Amino acid sequence: MRTRLLAIAIERETDLVLARQRTRHIAALAGFDTQDQTRITTAVSEIGRNVLEYAKAGRIEYWLDTTEAKLEILVEDKGPGIADLDAILSGSYRSPTGMGIGILGARRLMEDFSIRSRAGEGTHIRMTKPLSRKRGGWSTGDIAKMSAALVVPETMDPLQEIRRQNQEMVIQLEELGRRQEELEQLNQELHETNRGVVALYAELDERAEHLRRADELKLRFLSNMSHEFRTPLNSILALSRLLLGKTDGDLTAEQAKQVQFIRKSAETLTELVNDLLDLAKFEAGKTVVNVGEFTVDSLFGVLRGMLRPLLVSDHVALVFDDAAEVPPLSSDEGKVSQILRNFISNALKYTEKGEVRVSAETDVDADTVTFHVRDTGIGIEPKDIEFIWQEFHQIPHGLQSRVKGTGLGLPLSRKLALLLKGNVAVTSLPGEGSCFSLAIPRLYAAEISDREGPAWHLEAGKAPVLIVDDNAADAFSIERWLAGSRYQALAARSIAEAQRAMIKFQPVAVLLDVMLSGQECWNFLIELRQNEATQGLPIIVLSTTQEERKARSLGADEYFDKPADPRRLLAALDQLTGRRTIRRVLIVDDEEVSRYLQKQLLPRGAFAIEEAATGVAGLERVAEACPDVILLDLNLPDMTGIDFIEALPATPDRRPAIVLVTSADVTQDQRGRLSGVSDILRKSDITSTSLLAAIERALDNESVSP
Amino acid sequence: MDQIPIMKIGDCLLVSIQVDMHDQLAISLQDNLTTRIVQTRARGVMIDISALEIVDSFIGRMLNNIASMSRVLDAVTVVVGMQPAVAITLVELGLTLPGVRTALDVDRGLALIRRLIDDEAGS
Repeated sequence: MRTRLLAIAIERETDLVLARQRTRHIAALAGFDTQDQTRITTAVSEIGRNVLEYAKAGRIEYWLDTTEAKLEILVEDKGPGIADLDAILSGSYRSPTGMGIGILGARRLMEDFSIRSRAGEGTHIRMTKPLSRKRGGWSTGDIAKMSAALVVPETMDPLQEIRRQNQEMVIQLEELGRRQEELEQLNQELHETNRGVVALYAELDERAEHLRRADELKLRFLSNMSHEFRTPLNSILALSRLLLGKTDGDLTAEQAKQVQFIRKSAETLTELVNDLLDLAKFEAGKTVVNVGEFTVDSLFGVLRGMLRPLLVSDHVALVFDDAAEVPPLSSDEGKVSQILRNFISNALKYTEKGEVRVSAETDVDADTVTFHVRDTGIGIEPKDIEFIWQEFHQIPHGLQSRVKGTGLGLPLSRKLALLLKGNVAVTSLPGEGSCFSLAIPRLYAAEISDREGPAWHLEAGKAPVLIVDDNAADAFSIERWLAGSRYQALAARSIAEAQRAMIKFQPVAVLLDVMLSGQECWNFLIELRQNEATQGLPIIVLSTTQEERKARSLGADEYFDKPADPRRLLAALDQLTGRRTIRRVLIVDDEEVSRYLQKQLLPRGAFAIEEAATGVAGLERVAEACPDVILLDLNLPDMTGIDFIEALPATPDRRPAIVLVTSADVTQDQRGRLSGVSDILRKSDITSTSLLAAIERALDNESVSP
Repeated sequence: MDQIPIMKIGDCLLVSIQVDMHDQLAISLQDNLTTRIVQTRARGVMIDISALEIVDSFIGRMLNNIASMSRVLDAVTVVVGMQPAVAITLVELGLTLPGVRTALDVDRGLALIRRLIDDEAGS
């Protein structure tokens, strides 16, 4: 057991004197004889003086080790360390101050002496002296007695007492200081670690960004190159066809063969380019699922016809099992066919003898259809199976030299299968054949059951904004944000609902949450962008998964991470729907076709359009919220357009500008009464441009004469 | 600040160190003593360290210095009353005091000083 008896701080010369006294006292208490007391005290004095001289301050600790029966004295400082320690210990050192005997001398005086000193870290010295043999050994009682004797010094000199207490305080302060230092160091370390982590994060972000860029570049390269390749390839194909067609005279048999080879190679290359294009298209997310209803039977029929030319050998049979019992599917027939084509042509390539059998089965419970393409070909080694889905990977085999492929078929098939919410699988035995399977849900996008959809109610004078979000809470909070604005939220819980809302209303903008159902959502975005009518429609994408790049590349105008800041969202809406406020246009016409036509002629989202079938209804609308422009039919069932104009409120600032739309000529007499009408358009030659120009003029007039 | 008293006995100066000196005290003793040697034209210096329980290298060197300085000032130095434990420790410490003459007690010290002064006068 080791017990600390005492600790003394060395800070000034008088401390050294005290240390000598204390050392002597302790040595006496520990039972050393006078000679050893003097030795120990001298050693402490020597070392203590060194501490004072070189490190300015330090501490001495006295320990009693009862297990090994020795007195241990530790002296440590936080000084600059001892530079010539080796020289000093070897005795070759001569101190310029004439000293230099301290360490060596102390070592001679003590039994065991070890010193550790490093520049900047201070010096630690440990000295021990064995205790005299004591009958019965050292008990805890002895130690307690010793400690007590040390605490109550024999000389009750008050000055000394104060000094002693001072000493203790200094030591405690020192310890506190040390602890604080440790804490600070720990803090510092944490801070540094933190900084490191942050830096690491930044680096990761950078890497990710880099990867994304590389990926994008690859995609662009792929699609560009594929397109670029296609043109010359088509020329080669066309030219070789021309040559083979002997339009410009006969070819020799040899030449014909050569051209045939050119043509073959070009065809192979075209195939590769097409596969690449498919892949690029897929990765760019531009593949759209065209859902339609079809039967497996008919699909097999088409495939049979398509693939027959691939049967080059009589030894291989291509068999389609009867699939009449498989219920019709609602999925993308083209893609299913493409996948199966890939499987079958693959199977035919690697089968020299036997058959390739195509079958289909349904799983009623899961409502899935699984297609199998089984061959009796070379099979795949187990170790290779995981590679076959990788792009450009081909398993080396003797047949490879004969059969050509791009190495893209299977990876593409898998991607297409995933797109159809299905998957592909393979089982294989080398030498016996393989079985490739495609499992897809029978109904792609299990039709949303709530066909009715929510009852949207459009408030007069508000610009509808379509909100596509499957999370009711999110949609609701957006609705609330928009409640006070001039936008009205139309929440759609599914793409199908959104599509219905798009038809029913003409939203001025779309807020699209892409978490909705992944790909489907992106497809909706692409669809909106591809559709001429909605090309310019502002689309804001919201997502929790940081997909700004993808969103923007697919045509989103603005992107927000969820949860979005309502103010920024509103600002973005304002900005995207035109910096100016959206003008409200009221169409007053009794003919529905006419209203519809005018509405269609106006660009989507540019105006908030309201309709009224009668003059009275129109006037009511005006009373509710004054539109900026009225497209007015001259002949209404309940009143004439002129009556309508006269019935409008007289206050100038409540008076909308009017564009008169007529099917008949306007008489001179009537013209006199058309106050406030900025333009007259004939229904027969109304166009989008003329209508827009008229509205523009009407709005201009309004703004110059308020 | 404490001081070590220096007493004059004839042409000798007697210093009796009764307390454990801190280093500054030792240095001031060294200064005072040389001053007093010059003032009193003393021929001998006797330093009694019988009360000292330890003499470490610093004190040892101080004693040596005093001896050398008084030598230069034409005085001889004798250290008396060193405790046996101190003597052993000094040797173990590796400290040699080449210029310091020692005597067991004050009487012998005085006699030694007298003899040394006479020797010098005689030669």
